[in-house]
Amino acid sequence: MSDNPPLNRRQLSRELTAASRATAGQLINRVGPDRERRAYRIGFTGPPGAGKSTLIAQLAAARAESEARVGVLAIDPSSPLSGGSILGDRIRMDEVADSPDLFIRSLPSRWAHDGLTGNVAEMLQIMDRHHFDEVFLETVGVGQTDHAVKALVDTVVLVLVPESGDSIQAMKAGILEMADVYVVNKSDRPNAERIVGEIEGVLALSTGSRRGWQPPVVTTSATRNELGDLLGALASHRAWTEANRDDLAWRRRAERHHVQSVLNQQIAEIAEQAPVELFDASGAEIYAHFLTHLTPPGD
Amino acid sequence: MSLAGKRILVAKPGLDGHDIGAKIITLALRDAGADVIYTGLRKSPDYIARVAVDEDVDALGLSILSGSHHELLAQTRTELAARDAADIKIFVGGTIPPQDHQALIDAGAARIFTSEMTIDHVLAELELALTETA
Repeated sequence: MSDNPPLNRRQLSRELTAASRATAGQLINRVGPDRERRAYRIGFTGPPGAGKSTLIAQLAAARAESEARVGVLAIDPSSPLSGGSILGDRIRMDEVADSPDLFIRSLPSRWAHDGLTGNVAEMLQIMDRHHFDEVFLETVGVGQTDHAVKALVDTVVLVLVPESGDSIQAMKAGILEMADVYVVNKSDRPNAERIVGEIEGVLALSTGSRRGWQPPVVTTSATRNELGDLLGALASHRAWTEANRDDLAWRRRAERHHVQSVLNQQIAEIAEQAPVELFDASGAEIYAHFLTHLTPPGD
Repeated sequence: MSLAGKRILVAKPGLDGHDIGAKIITLALRDAGADVIYTGLRKSPDYIARVAVDEDVDALGLSILSGSHHELLAQTRTELAARDAADIKIFVGGTIPPQDHQALIDAGAARIFTSEMTIDHVLAELELALTETA
């Protein structure tokens, strides 16, 4: 922290842009293995409107008191029609934690459909090179498909609200299995305790793959700056992770996600560059076109 | 659309409280393929410059209805320069009297947009401005 060089925001900002604009062909060699010392990464996922941005801002404000260098990568959805986006997360964050020391970067999801954005793995490594102590990654929040974030972060936080009750059952086999910490935000609203009970009920049925970690369910009210036991829960999971994580499995999962993500980007690029007449052909012919246009990195 | 992939900040500096114009531009830019960040009302030039740098935007739009366009443009440019970001293109929109346009251009605005212009004209001019070197 104190012995780190001052943050060069323009430099960092431009490196992130270059990473987000890299083509699939350039990408495969750009993400190396993680460095020994890197930022602790926390991923926040959960349905739109659950209050992820406000909660992240409250956390960042709490961290700022300890002079930690905290960065936020916040992903918003791109329009499937125009490819454009309106990136609104940081505005909610700035209203809570308008701090010159906090670095927030808004990112469009573009072609990614896993709640993340292309090349987020390299962006996280760029944050490491700029000596961040902690990085918060906010997913698009599309819900059940957002579990890809698990491959990139150390702790996954699922943010729900008291109104999420009906979706809990549906989420049983999805993101609900993946999170390390569960938050019921907006807990000043009715039914907060009931949904805490429902989540705990689901968690009690699925302890198999957690290697001994018992995910806590905490209640928060971000707009009232009530973080409840969230800080304690995050600290506990970090301590548990550092003592118990299967690093080999973690690296394998990260590399698998990275390569899949590059392939997905390349397929999206081929689709974008294909002449429209291609899609008059048979499915098999279109498929063959994609296969012949998949090129090795650097080409 | 060649605004695809461009990062653009639409900002409301100063004290006026109407942002329908800023919101229309924000939506039009998104529909032209840009990634757009809108600041919301009543932001300081210091804040706007900080967001422009952190978000590495290709262009910064200032929507001003209050009549303080000369001061707010100058302050925003000062704040950008202090962050080594004087190269970020600025366009000014809102209630800008025609006789003030040239002075704003001379003070560093890349384009002036007013409500008499069509959206298509604004988008085309912005696209052109982004290809010009300073």
